[in-house]
Amino acid sequence: MFKPLTLEIALTVGMFGIFLLDLFLDRHKKRVLGIFTLLLLIVILGISISKSVYGTAFSGTFVSDSFAVTLKQLFLIATGLAVLGSISHTEKLLIGREGEYYLLLLFSLLGMMITVSARELLLLFVGFELMSIPLYVLSGFDKGNPRSVEGALKIFLFGTVSSALLLLGIGIFFAATGTTAWHTTRALDELNDPLGTLALIILLAGFGFKIAAFPFQFWVPDTYEGAPTPFVAFLSVAPKVAGFGILFRFFFEALEPLASTWTLYAIWLAALTMIVGNLLALPQRNIKRLLAYSGIAHIGYMLLGLASGSKFGLEMSVFYFVAYLFSNMGAFLVAEAVHRATGSDDLDSYTRLYRRAPFLSLAMLVFLLSLGGIPFVIGFWAKLYIFLAAAEAGYIFIVLLGALLTVVALFYYLNVARKMYIDEGSGENSFISLPFDLSISIGICTLAVVLLGLYPKGIVWIAIKAISAFGQSNPIIH
Amino acid sequence: MESLLNGNLTIITFFPLIGILLIVVLSLLYRDSEEPMKIGALVVSILEFIISVPLYTNFLLGFAGMQFEVRAPWIESLGVSYHLGVDGISLFLVLLTTFIMPITILSAWNAIHRGMREFLALILLLETALIGTFLALDMILFFIFWEAVLIPMYFLIGIWGTDRRIYAAVKFFIYTAFGSALMLVAIFYLYFVHLDQFGTASMDILDFYKLNIPYFGILSPQGLLFLGFFLAFAIKVPMFPFHTWLPDAHVEAPTAGSVILAGILLKMGTYGFLRFLLPLFPNATLDLLPVLSVIAIIGIIYGAMVAFAQHDLKKLVAYSSVSHLGLVMLGIFVLNIQGIQGGIYQMLNHGLSTGALFLIVGMIYERRHTKLIAEFGGISKVMPIFAAFFLLSTLSSIGLPLLNGFVGEFLILLGVFKWNYIYSALGATGMILGAVYMLWAYQRVMFGPLDKPENKVLIDLNLREIMVLLPIAIMFFVMGIYPKPFLSRMEPTVKELLKTKFEERIAVTEIKQPRIVTDEHE
Repeated sequence: MFKPLTLEIALTVGMFGIFLLDLFLDRHKKRVLGIFTLLLLIVILGISISKSVYGTAFSGTFVSDSFAVTLKQLFLIATGLAVLGSISHTEKLLIGREGEYYLLLLFSLLGMMITVSARELLLLFVGFELMSIPLYVLSGFDKGNPRSVEGALKIFLFGTVSSALLLLGIGIFFAATGTTAWHTTRALDELNDPLGTLALIILLAGFGFKIAAFPFQFWVPDTYEGAPTPFVAFLSVAPKVAGFGILFRFFFEALEPLASTWTLYAIWLAALTMIVGNLLALPQRNIKRLLAYSGIAHIGYMLLGLASGSKFGLEMSVFYFVAYLFSNMGAFLVAEAVHRATGSDDLDSYTRLYRRAPFLSLAMLVFLLSLGGIPFVIGFWAKLYIFLAAAEAGYIFIVLLGALLTVVALFYYLNVARKMYIDEGSGENSFISLPFDLSISIGICTLAVVLLGLYPKGIVWIAIKAISAFGQSNPIIH
Repeated sequence: MESLLNGNLTIITFFPLIGILLIVVLSLLYRDSEEPMKIGALVVSILEFIISVPLYTNFLLGFAGMQFEVRAPWIESLGVSYHLGVDGISLFLVLLTTFIMPITILSAWNAIHRGMREFLALILLLETALIGTFLALDMILFFIFWEAVLIPMYFLIGIWGTDRRIYAAVKFFIYTAFGSALMLVAIFYLYFVHLDQFGTASMDILDFYKLNIPYFGILSPQGLLFLGFFLAFAIKVPMFPFHTWLPDAHVEAPTAGSVILAGILLKMGTYGFLRFLLPLFPNATLDLLPVLSVIAIIGIIYGAMVAFAQHDLKKLVAYSSVSHLGLVMLGIFVLNIQGIQGGIYQMLNHGLSTGALFLIVGMIYERRHTKLIAEFGGISKVMPIFAAFFLLSTLSSIGLPLLNGFVGEFLILLGVFKWNYIYSALGATGMILGAVYMLWAYQRVMFGPLDKPENKVLIDLNLREIMVLLPIAIMFFVMGIYPKPFLSRMEPTVKELLKTKFEERIAVTEIKQPRIVTDEHE
């Protein structure tokens, strides 16, 4: 009965442990909390490899299939990297609040794990809120910084509106079909009336806020700019992947009869998101804002997988998640390291970084190349695959648009590389020494980006396995 | 060991990467000296040349297909494989690359004042990427190497260039990245055409050769694919309206960068035409031939005229590249054996002679810190050895008989003449203009009164610089006097390409063959 819930239960028990530990720990020994959180995540990741976590619970409304488990593993890795990158940050800047910080991260993680397993809209909504509310709090965690508070307010307002939209969409879906669970009524033919399309559009808008697709992306740059950077690394990846997870499951399982409608919306959403993200990233002078806009552009590329409406497209999106996870988190962690050394997120603080921290700037270069889609790193394969999927679905002109926009993207990524390697700097030349936790997490990301770039097959295999979950229950269009 | 000396394409491609490791190790061992890593890089690049020579000696004469093939599955689900091979088209481009690289490393010996380790590593990385581009027989593999050339070159120009280097580096990057984006989309399209026609997933170039892509005008599948590839390659060559990145990149790049850029990088474009455009899209090529040849001719004459007007020696050489590559493209577009063979030959010639000219400009720039022609005059009196090499490179560049340039230009013009004598006359005009501006520039720099005090104290070439130029000078004569070993290795592949893809076309050129070519009618 509870086997499919093993991961969630393990996480909840672990969270209790951390909560109790936090109560009894001395104020100056809170570093233990981070390490304990990390161990907890590693243990859960280990459990997730086991076969016994698969199955369904609560009369089929909660499912733990290969898709859910793969995404949960990605969440665990992303959270783990964020926690690892936060240890010295929280120790220095959030003294005495470490417990809250880690617990909120874990609450959000729990929410994500529930949403990607949900096959029922109310359960999905609960998971969705559990995931989102800690994110609002964490965005404003740097209380003294007005930008952080402003960013938190923005994500909160946008987030609550999106929740309201979701509820409205759920209501309409219920009105159209008479159920909130879609595992029982697979072919929802009734949905083909205007009510069904309305539900589809409103739900798409609700999810669109979460993944920050155009035109729901306004909160992203401000929130990223103000929030603690290791948390932004997490925020920029994990909730987005969760949002996509929900979209994939809901659209492919529940709204399959409307596929021709939502692939049309998705392709427009993808194209506009790519354009807006890439073009707005061009004038940015702050690394976090630049990565925020480039992240929006990446959401557009990932949407191509959904828009292609095929299993192949979904597989390639999952591949893209992995590439994006390591490259983007790596880039944000480097931003954190540079911020720690220079006290600024300005692009100018990267001038001659190469002289001051050769390995750090090499890592940043690798991440930027991966985000830009240059060969030998994983980002290249991600772009290649997603374009291939879209081309297969017949969107050759969107692929052309996407490919041309990667040139724009390379321009602003290389702008950072130029600052690091080419520009002549003035003043500061002291060597930057990295905190241990950051060097480990950045090292892991670099290794992953390079090694997976040389051997992309493994990830393709994982992606195929993840998406096979849909194949069994559902004939996919195309 | 045995396979090493018989020509192993994998080792040839990736051997320079070992050099990078070696440089890193040497730079850690000898922290205060650059000599060990320079010598290390030089030795690696010379060894690389030595292991690439068996490709030439063991090359099967009279065989048109791929040789020394290496093949391994890579990503089966997409039909992507690790597939390398060499034929008459790519053979000499690989050899040109391995030949030029030691020379560029030697030429940069004292010219790089900071970041020697990174400089050498980037040069070797570039070598691997370039060789991979010429050897790859899988579309994705080709694309990976093609893109991998961009980053090292961007940094070479950006870090070690002159004043406007960032502008030049970014411009170079954006232009070529734009082209490759289009090419990537075209590759996908080809992939699905193949999937459609044969039912199997493949990215193999040789499989793509078997495709029959529908053509009915420029908006048909073949026409669009042609455009995608054409833009990518035309930017790289560069052909006339897409050439504006080239003068900036060449002028701002350090000498070694200019040599690689002119000597090898531009050949990626012309090679792309021969490897992809002609065999994959024969109908579109034939249909657009008049436009393409006119563009090539405009490039020849325009490049020559702009070169004529330059005050900066390096810019002059850069624009002469536009002109020379126009001639190469014209040779390729006439689609007969002489034209294409001449085109390939001229690619090599251009690599050698323009490479030598950039080296020469670099040498005098290191001494005088100016490249303006007006700043010189009478240099031959103080630098006789330099004068001799400069003269030889100039003559090679303008195609003096007995030197390599002549063979290539003669073959091209012969091929063009068979097809259309007006084009041939226009192409020859470009050559005459070339002789005028090159010799005039030579005269202004080397002869005349030695009136500038700075010029009176110039020191002639040292042994290292002579060693840089001597191998190229020897090749000028070898290729000028005895072109047969080169041409005989290209011929079967070129013939095969024309026979399988342009049979009708051959018939047309044979009929239009003018009576002046007598020996075949006697």
